[in-house]
This record gives sequence, structure tokens and C-alpha cells, in this order.
Amino acid sequence: MRVYKIGSMKKIFLFLSVSGLLLSLSAFADGERKLFGDHKSGSRSNAVHRIGLLNEEGDKISLDDDPLLPFSTKQTCGKCHNYETINKGWHFNAADENIPAGRPGQPWILTDAVTATQIPVSYRNWKGTYTPQQIGLTDWKFALMFGRHTPGGLGEDLEADPDFDARWIESGELEINCLACHDAESAHDQSKYPAQVSRQNFRWAAAATCAFAKASGSAKSMPRMYDYMMPGILDDPKLVPPAVSYDTSRFDDKGRVFLDVVSDIPNKRCYFCHSNIDVGDEKWSSDQDVHLEAGLSCVDCHSNGPDHNITRGYETESAHSNNPLAAVSSCRGCHLGDGNSDTPTAGRLGAPKPLHKGIPAVHFDKLTCTACHSGPWPEQNTIRTKTARAHALGAKGANLSDDALPHIIYPVFAKQHDGKIGPHKIVFPAFWGSLKDDKVTPLAAEIIAPVIRKILPDRKLLRSGDWMDLTEEQISKVLSSLKSGLTLPDIPVYISGGKIYSLDSNNKITAEVSDLAEPYKWPIAHNVRPASQSLGVRGCEDCHSAESPFYFGKVNIDSAVASAAGESMTMHQLHGADTDVYKPVSKFFKWLIIIVMALLILHITGDLFRRALKSRAD
Amino acid sequence: MEKLMKQAEIKNSTEFFQRFSLQFRIQHIVLFISTTILIFTGIPLWCLSRPDFILWNSTCFELLGGLRGISLIHHCAAAALIVLSAYHLLYTIFSKTGRREFIDLLPGLKDVTDVMTNSLYFLGLTKKRPQFARYSYIEKFDYWAVYWGSVIMIVSGLVMLYPAQCAKYCPWLTFDLAAEIHAGEAILATLALFIWHFYNVHFNPSHFPGTLMWLHGRITKKQMIAEHPLEYEKMMQDQNPDSASSD
Repeated sequence: MRVYKIGSMKKIFLFLSVSGLLLSLSAFADGERKLFGDHKSGSRSNAVHRIGLLNEEGDKISLDDDPLLPFSTKQTCGKCHNYETINKGWHFNAADENIPAGRPGQPWILTDAVTATQIPVSYRNWKGTYTPQQIGLTDWKFALMFGRHTPGGLGEDLEADPDFDARWIESGELEINCLACHDAESAHDQSKYPAQVSRQNFRWAAAATCAFAKASGSAKSMPRMYDYMMPGILDDPKLVPPAVSYDTSRFDDKGRVFLDVVSDIPNKRCYFCHSNIDVGDEKWSSDQDVHLEAGLSCVDCHSNGPDHNITRGYETESAHSNNPLAAVSSCRGCHLGDGNSDTPTAGRLGAPKPLHKGIPAVHFDKLTCTACHSGPWPEQNTIRTKTARAHALGAKGANLSDDALPHIIYPVFAKQHDGKIGPHKIVFPAFWGSLKDDKVTPLAAEIIAPVIRKILPDRKLLRSGDWMDLTEEQISKVLSSLKSGLTLPDIPVYISGGKIYSLDSNNKITAEVSDLAEPYKWPIAHNVRPASQSLGVRGCEDCHSAESPFYFGKVNIDSAVASAAGESMTMHQLHGADTDVYKPVSKFFKWLIIIVMALLILHITGDLFRRALKSRAD
Repeated sequence: MEKLMKQAEIKNSTEFFQRFSLQFRIQHIVLFISTTILIFTGIPLWCLSRPDFILWNSTCFELLGGLRGISLIHHCAAAALIVLSAYHLLYTIFSKTGRREFIDLLPGLKDVTDVMTNSLYFLGLTKKRPQFARYSYIEKFDYWAVYWGSVIMIVSGLVMLYPAQCAKYCPWLTFDLAAEIHAGEAILATLALFIWHFYNVHFNPSHFPGTLMWLHGRITKKQMIAEHPLEYEKMMQDQNPDSASSD
């Protein structure tokens, strides 16, 4: 038997304690610390949330508090669910450079009718989009502009260049708004969120959407360094400081509130940010996605665990995502199964396995499932559509006009990131920029807006929310003005409708179709039509005919330039050239044909020549 | 060989030689019918993903019973070509005549010198044409072009028809690669057929507007002496070894 001395035991205890502490700290530092709500309960029933509300400081809110403070989701929900882990989820991690961008998705679109600007913006590295930094948008401006249709997670980046116009102190941060998705209460009003964002009431925004709270006032009108915890008396009696009030009947005797939060997000919550409506269409007159009609919900396919790393639902997603369901959450994943899996995975969620009888296999290599099954039935001309994120659908005060910017065009059958052809939404970028080394950098609003105001003082946002068309003469004037202001060798340009406008050496305006101006496109997946409305259901001629929109549909080019009005592209121009992979083979055959046929024709010519000579001699 | 000689003996009296056997002629007929169908149905299929040709292509579709009709005809013709190719392979292995023909069709050093001599002849640098045996280098080129062309077309066509199955055993041989090869080889074969082969058997002033040799397999003595003098000489020698040696 080994006998330990007391001193040795102390050392072992000390060692174990320190190790344990270090391990705990490292786990905490990684943001992977599991809190009460992050553990699996194993129950499929819903966890009832009757909880105390905590303010930004982590203190429990009591109805007797003065002033009454808005509850903080970071503190209230973060008490049991690791906020830092959630913050790494897909909806919140856009600005994290370490997160793979994956398949290009819907961008934010910065629009300004006065400067005839429409720029796809994204923190993610999606080709064709510009980062907020590139277009001069600070985190503050980004939050003000686009925070309305986010589930929060926007705050000050302390490492970024300081924005002296920012008012984070007065507004607070747009914390991750858990209730934007998880609140199942019918009276939850997400439309209050954009209103609060526009008033810079960031810290009040989440509370304002709840059925048991009301927000009032505006942080926007508060003086600098306004302290919401000690409001005091304002000089201007007309100014209303931001405040919150609670429905007292919702608090129990222990000061707890029942939050009707669910893990299975209701579709209507997703819809606030993910709605689409075609121009000229009505919600009641268009069918829903067949999956919803069949009884599925959005989160049946777009699901995630406590890490909030939601599946986006495209075929190659598992290459970028550590979500174990990524491989089986695409169309193919559910309907055909994961070919690499040892177990049968087809038919997830009751998905019927398609037979695709008589359809040559090449279609499945060249086309996405959505090419035949998703979006509206393609017509001869593309149409415009509006999206919640681009057009602030559902927000009070949003311009409901059909012409409101940005102009999103669809369905456009174009080659996507994996080489397959699928339906897309596209937006033609329009902006003033500087061209250098075959790269165009958009000019920040602070630079271009004063120039436009000076040279084209009549330009304004039309009531319809549309831009006024620019003439080439106007573009020329603005470019000339910019030319004198820009540092050489930058060339001032205007991009719109797939063309790049610049001044030549004689200061004459030229317009060229350019890759730098090509539309940004992102694939559409919904709405999925019934199988009996799939492309090809009437036969091959649905696509392989002279009238087929798939090849010959007109893609209307959206341009702010008057002379480009009515221009269009043919759909097949966007199908993309063949990939470079087999170019050597193609080249080999090309030269083989040229050489062989040249030799054979030479032989024939020689034969004929000799016969002619011989007959002349005879 | 004996049979052939006997036939030649008979036809010699009527100034004809039996150049191709019935077997060979049937194979050739199946070949040209299937190839012609494959070409005329293959072009519209090739144009499917080339929108610039769609208007022309739509007319083809209407004439040939739509895309499914064209595909069906193309696949049937391809099946005929596959069966023919397999039969021809067996024919050249197991049939005595087939083996002889195959050996005669093998390219040799003489073919290289014949090409050079013929080139000099075309340029008027020599008055002497090369003397051909049973098969000239022109015919050997035709045969081997079809031989390897068929192999390439059949393999690439099957890959295009069964890309998923092919991917299991040969993942690098993708549909796109097969399609590229199929199209390239098809264009080469079509051009060679309609320009080279048609010139040699139809538009060549010596044969215009064409011979019926593909049907009856016979060649006149005059043509035999002009185009295959070495074979004629050999046949005469085989027929009458004494007179040949005394010559």
C-alpha cells in the first residue's frame, strides 16, 4: 500500500485545482462555456421561460425601478445561453473574417436616389459585393441603415477607425435580439424594431417588439453623452427621452415574466426579414412554397444547435459548415440523400424521392434542383421583386411603390458558384467610383454627394422611391468635376446597367460593358413549386426551344442612365462559358481537326492539281 | 484466300475482280447507315446547349420528332454501331478473311514511302505514282480513322449516357470531358467522311459520281491495275505462278 504524505496531497490538490481553473478559464475564453440552457435536456417539449428580466448592467428589473430600464437580451437570455457562442452563429458572424463566406447570398443594398447609387454590400467575402468599409460605411452607419432587418448583433467595433458621428453611448448597442426569432407570442411586433432603430433607440429596440413592453422617445434627439440611467431634465421640453414601460400584469409576484420563447422558430418570425413580393403581385394571390404547404416549417430544413450555426441549405455547404445536418439539408440531401453516408438518408422529413424518369443525367450535373423547381415560372421577360431586407418590407414608413430602389431582377438563370446553372436574383450595381489597376472602388457618400448636389442640384428622390435617370452629359459633368479632385492615376467612373462610364483623353464620355459592372447575383431557393409545375413537365421543349425563357428570356438591364433604358440581355449570356477544366482537350481537338483536315485537303488539292496537269498534257 | 482467288478467276473472265466479300460489304453498309444517322441526329443534340443555333435546331427537332425522338434515333444508331464494332472485332479475330483483311490494313513502312512518293508526284517532281497493294495508305487511313474513331465515340458516348455509373469506376472521366471528346471526334470524323472519304470514292474524277463497289464489291480490271497494281500482280502470280516467274 502506498502512503502519501500530507505535503504531497496538498501539492496534488493544488495542481488539480490550478489545472481545473486553467481549463475552465480556457473554455470560458473560447466562448464555449456551456450554461444552463446550453445543455441538452433530452426533452422534446418546450422549456417554459418564466424568468426575471435583467438590464444592461445585469441587474434584475423591478417595476419599482426609476427609471424603468429596457431589458437586455445579452443579460437576460445570456444568463442561461452562452451569448458569445450564439454570436458566432451564421446570423451574427458576418464581420468575422475567419468564417467562410460560403455560397453567395443576399447582400444588403445601399441605395441613394440622389447620387443614383445602388451597391450590394456585405461583410462576407462574396464576389461582387463591397464591404461596408470599402464604401465608407462605419459600423454605426451600417447599424443605422440596415439594423432594422437584422436579429441584432451589431455594435461598435473598437478596433475599427473611430466614427466621430457615432452615438453608441446614447443609443446603446443592437444586441442579439433573441426574441426576433424565438418569440412565439402573436402580439410580438417586429415592425417596432425598425422604428426604434431609426430613432437610434438601439437598447430599447428588442423590448419594444414584445407584447409586454412599450418604448417611447428617441435617443436620436438626445444630447451627446446622454445617460439613459440618469435622464435628468432636458433643456428642450419637446424632446422626449427614450423610455420603456412594462405591462405590470405580466410580472408575477417574484418579478418574473413569462416569455413565450420556443426553439422551433415560427415561420412568421423568419418572414420579417426573409419575405419577398414580386412587383405587381399580392401576398394573397401567390402560393407559398410547397414545403410549407406540406406542413414543414423553415427551421425543419434551416436548423441549428445552441451554436446557432444554421444550415443554409445548399449542396456544397458541408464543405464550409460544421453543422452535421449541412450535408443532408439541401434539396438533394433530403430528396436523394447523402451519397457519402453509410446509412440511408434520402427521404428526410418525408421528402419524396424523385424518379426524374426520362431526363438525361446531364441535367443533374449542369443544373441546380432549383433551376426547374424554384421561383416563379419563367416568362419571356424577367420581373422585379422586392425583399424585406432590401426594401424594408414590413417596416412602418417603407416605400411601398413598385419602383422603389433597389431594383432587384429575377428569375435569372445564371451560372452559380459551383458551376451549375440555377435561378438567381440580380442587382446591377450603380455607383460613382475611382478606377485603379482594373479595380473600382466606390466613392463614399461624403465625397460624391456634395459634388452631385453642386452640379445637379435638381436631383432628388422621386416619390416613387425611384431614381431620376442620368443623362450622359450629366455623367460627363460629374466625372469632369471628380477628375479634377481625384489623385492620379485614379480614373473617376460611373457604373450602371453593366457598363462603366468614363471620360476619354478628349474628355468625351465613353460607355463600355465591363466585368467590373456586372450584376451581383444570388441564388433563389424559394418558393419551390409543385413537381407538376417544374420546368420540363411539358417536355424537353420547356427549355430546348426557340421560345424558351431558360435560354432566350430577356433579362432587363437596370440602369440609371437614360440612354440605356430598355436594354436587355439574353438569358443564355449569363449561363457562363464552359469551365477552363477541359480547355486543353478542346484545344487539342481544335488543332487536331485543323491539322488533319488541312493535310487531307492538301492531298485532295494535290491530286486534283496533278490530274489537271496530266489532262492538259494529254 | 482460295475462295477469293476462285472468285477473282471467275470475274477475271468478265473483266471484274471480287474485291470485297459480302460480310465486309454488310459491315460497311451498317457502318455508313449508322454513322450518317449519328451525324444528322448528333448535330442537333450538340446544338442543344448552343443557343446561337436554336432556330435551326428547332426545325430539326420538328422534322425528327422532337428531342426525345432525336435522342432515341441517335441511341439506336449508336447501338447499331456498337454491335457492328463488336462483330467486326470478332470477325477480324475468328474469320480467316477477316484476319487477312486486317493484316492487309496494318500500316507499314511502304505506306510512309507511298505518301512521300505521291506528294512528289502531286507536285510534278516525279512522273511515277506509287504502286499500291490491296489497300493504299488512303484506304488504310480511312479504316484506322473509323476504327479508333468508333472506340472514342462509343466510350465517350457511354460515359455521357451513364455518367453516374462511370463516376464510380472512373471519376476523372466526367460527363463534360466525355462530351468534349465526343464532340471533337465527331466533328473530325464528319469532316473527314464528307470531305476526304467522299472525295476518294465519289468526287474523285476517276470515280465520279461514285462507284457501286460498296454494294456488289466488284472492281474492274482496269481500275484494279490502275489503283492496286501490286495486288493485281500478286493475284496473277498466285493464279499462274509459272507465267509470272517467266515474266
